[in-house]
Amino acid sequence: MPAGLLDGFRVLDLGSGISAPWCAKLLADYGAEVIKVETPGSGDDSRRIGPFAGGDPNSEKSLTFLYLNTNKKGVSLDISSVSGRKLFHRLLADADVLVENNPPSRSKELGLDYASLAEINPGLVVTSITPFGQTGPYREFQATDIVTYALSGLMYHSGDSDQPPLRNVLDQSFYVAGANAAAATQVALFARLTSGEGQHVDVAATECLGAHLVQPLPYYNYMGAVKGRRPVRGAGFEELMPARDGYVAPSVQGSQPWSTIASLIGGEELQDKKFATGAGRVAHGEELKELLIKGLAQWDRMPLFLASGEQRLVFGMAQDAGDLVDCPHLDARDFFVEVDHPVAGPARYPGMAVRLPGETITASLPAPLLGQHNAEIFGEKLGYSVEDLISLRHQGVI
Amino acid sequence: MPPESKQQTPLKNIRVLDLSRVFAMPFAAANLADLGAEVIKIDTCQTQFMDTTRTITGPFPDNQPGELWWEQGGTFQNLNRGKRSLTLDLRSEESQKIIKELVGLCDVVLENFTPRVMARFGLDYESLKTHKPDLIMVSNTGYGHSGPWSNFGAMASALEPTHGTGAFMGYMEEGADGRLSEGQVPNKMGNSYSDFMATWTALGSLMAALLRRARTGQGQWIDLAMYQTGTTVIGTGLLDYAFNGRRTQRIGNRHPVWSPHGVYPCRGQDQWVAIAARDESDWNAVCQAMGMPELTSDSRFADPIDRRRHQEELDEVIAAWTSTRTSFQVMETLQDAGAPAGAVLTAKQVLTDPQHLDRGFFETVHNPPESGLRDKGYVGRGWKFSKSDAAIRGPAPRLGEANEYILGELLGVDDDSLKRFAADWTIGNLPEGGGAPGTVPLDEQVELGWIAEYDPDYLDLLPPV
Repeated sequence: MPAGLLDGFRVLDLGSGISAPWCAKLLADYGAEVIKVETPGSGDDSRRIGPFAGGDPNSEKSLTFLYLNTNKKGVSLDISSVSGRKLFHRLLADADVLVENNPPSRSKELGLDYASLAEINPGLVVTSITPFGQTGPYREFQATDIVTYALSGLMYHSGDSDQPPLRNVLDQSFYVAGANAAAATQVALFARLTSGEGQHVDVAATECLGAHLVQPLPYYNYMGAVKGRRPVRGAGFEELMPARDGYVAPSVQGSQPWSTIASLIGGEELQDKKFATGAGRVAHGEELKELLIKGLAQWDRMPLFLASGEQRLVFGMAQDAGDLVDCPHLDARDFFVEVDHPVAGPARYPGMAVRLPGETITASLPAPLLGQHNAEIFGEKLGYSVEDLISLRHQGVI
Repeated sequence: MPPESKQQTPLKNIRVLDLSRVFAMPFAAANLADLGAEVIKIDTCQTQFMDTTRTITGPFPDNQPGELWWEQGGTFQNLNRGKRSLTLDLRSEESQKIIKELVGLCDVVLENFTPRVMARFGLDYESLKTHKPDLIMVSNTGYGHSGPWSNFGAMASALEPTHGTGAFMGYMEEGADGRLSEGQVPNKMGNSYSDFMATWTALGSLMAALLRRARTGQGQWIDLAMYQTGTTVIGTGLLDYAFNGRRTQRIGNRHPVWSPHGVYPCRGQDQWVAIAARDESDWNAVCQAMGMPELTSDSRFADPIDRRRHQEELDEVIAAWTSTRTSFQVMETLQDAGAPAGAVLTAKQVLTDPQHLDRGFFETVHNPPESGLRDKGYVGRGWKFSKSDAAIRGPAPRLGEANEYILGELLGVDDDSLKRFAADWTIGNLPEGGGAPGTVPLDEQVELGWIAEYDPDYLDLLPPV
């Protein structure tokens, strides 16, 4: 079961792709009841995004879809049709939140703009997630993750200074936007406790990412300096360096004396006092880097990481997906949840970022099949008869 | 968004005790202050124990830490805007007792000490809960408060590869045949990415806890592990291993399916534009916009599969076109044609970006003249409310500026104790020990590769605040 913090809140996920589904998943994991509304036939765009379970490009096996839609119920509904819109308005009537991520002009066409929705349910919190926001000269710009990342100002800092800026990890722009949206949506729900009114929450992915620039922006507006990408010069601390079985990130942070760091990495020459200060490490950067490479070549990632942690240093190590799935620490924290999907099969999925003592979180409901809960939601909950449902199906509305 | 009735200050009656340091939780607390919460930052006069954003992070105005250097860091100002400051010395029992009394008057506590430190101070959740039964507390650590790595410290720079992002980020590598293939070397988003993911996770989880508390009166301890936060945002990658055994995917700026997809060089120094074609309509738009309609019938580029096979040739064609134009020209031309494109903005360009200026993303903070800080724009939030009021409330607090308010007014500490606290540096407005941090001249920073370049006349190049 998911956590119970948002018990009793009802969320409609009209999202597609990553940002809005991720926002709704976070709310679902905190305990909200989330109903995912997909277009009949095609469904959420992420159903067509790889990778797929077993490499089989089946719309029920998209791993992005499977991951982002756990703990949700799913209906299929064409909200642009007359019957579909009627049904949709009944769903809206007792919803607390609607989250969507259409371009602003498309939201209006679909009747998902705030003014239209507020007429039906004035208490509704409507969260719209777009790359650039609902206003401004870029509001209708075409954007994908890399475009959003570029315009946010973060991409310029990713990668190496002697290479082009490097794209982020697995569409991160939209995860950042979704996480921000989940927080902001709940702020609006909290405000509603006092005001009794819903409102529109306009989430802009580029701004969510731009807020991360709390170093590069003052570098410029305090002193005119443009921060670049990872310098290729320097001693190699705080950067990825080769070890015997992969890469590690040695660090001088952690308020331990240089001798502790030097002893851990190994080699007599590293103990030289000239490396003991930040200025010394800068002045002797190239020499230090060579010694660092020599020392690290004696280490595998995990033993070095564990030894550094025990000595109160803060080294990191580059882990891949397999390392994380098999990580004993994540296992000890019951991070993974069992999910058994009727088409893709069982697997251990990443669970929540936070541990919530007092809450028992054992497993997640699998992502819904397209239209899986039509009968339950439209029939049992809204009272449509079997005949009505057949008619709606026949019209292509569900 | 036009203000309809911005009457609501969402967190008006919420008081937050911010025991945290550095980036992640201070920024979460700053966002709470923007939302109207009263946020009390626990500071200290002991320079060696001060929040490092007060001491060494900088950047300082014109790279010069002034007489009031501990108030002047630009990153500190961004991360602590709108808070109050109380100085204490957490090593002393008296200070710990004050914290506990103060917790009784607060709704939320944010902290990022290692579990060992909080227990030593007697400030763990179980202890604090006795002073505030419905307390909501976020404890942010690298690895969480349980499990074998729980006492390991962490910094974003080393944590990011540990939580797996490097498995899905890296440049491609050139083989003997000159073709590019998946890279072996992990890379990083950098810029303390892990910290900010923790910021957003803290805000989301504590809002969920506040919503429940409002209905049930129940508190909540939130054990936030940055390691886990970073892992949740690569869920697709972990499932790719669980289902398919794939451990890494480092394909530079390419996309597994779409083509073209990447960044292309533009006119000027280190200027780039990102271009992505999601489908044939985007591809046609790119060709038309470049004035090369003949590409659409080039058999090498007939469909996304062919284009991916001939990606190097295609990238050369596009780069030849982009490199004679500015990144903004390329962006505008492609967007006009309906294709996704965006300039890779530097921080300087972000500060002058028309979209940000139109939406008022940077909020001006007026520091008092004696602070030695000019009025500047600071980062706002990625969300706007149609009715609620969210805004930066003021500058970061001067060290200990709220000592009297909190100790005297809120807690009723007697004058004798206050005098004693002042005498032993528990409270005060000045740092004890240590002096202004040294800074490296900007010329030298360019040499070292720490910064790309600098504009001595930057003040003239920035939009008015």
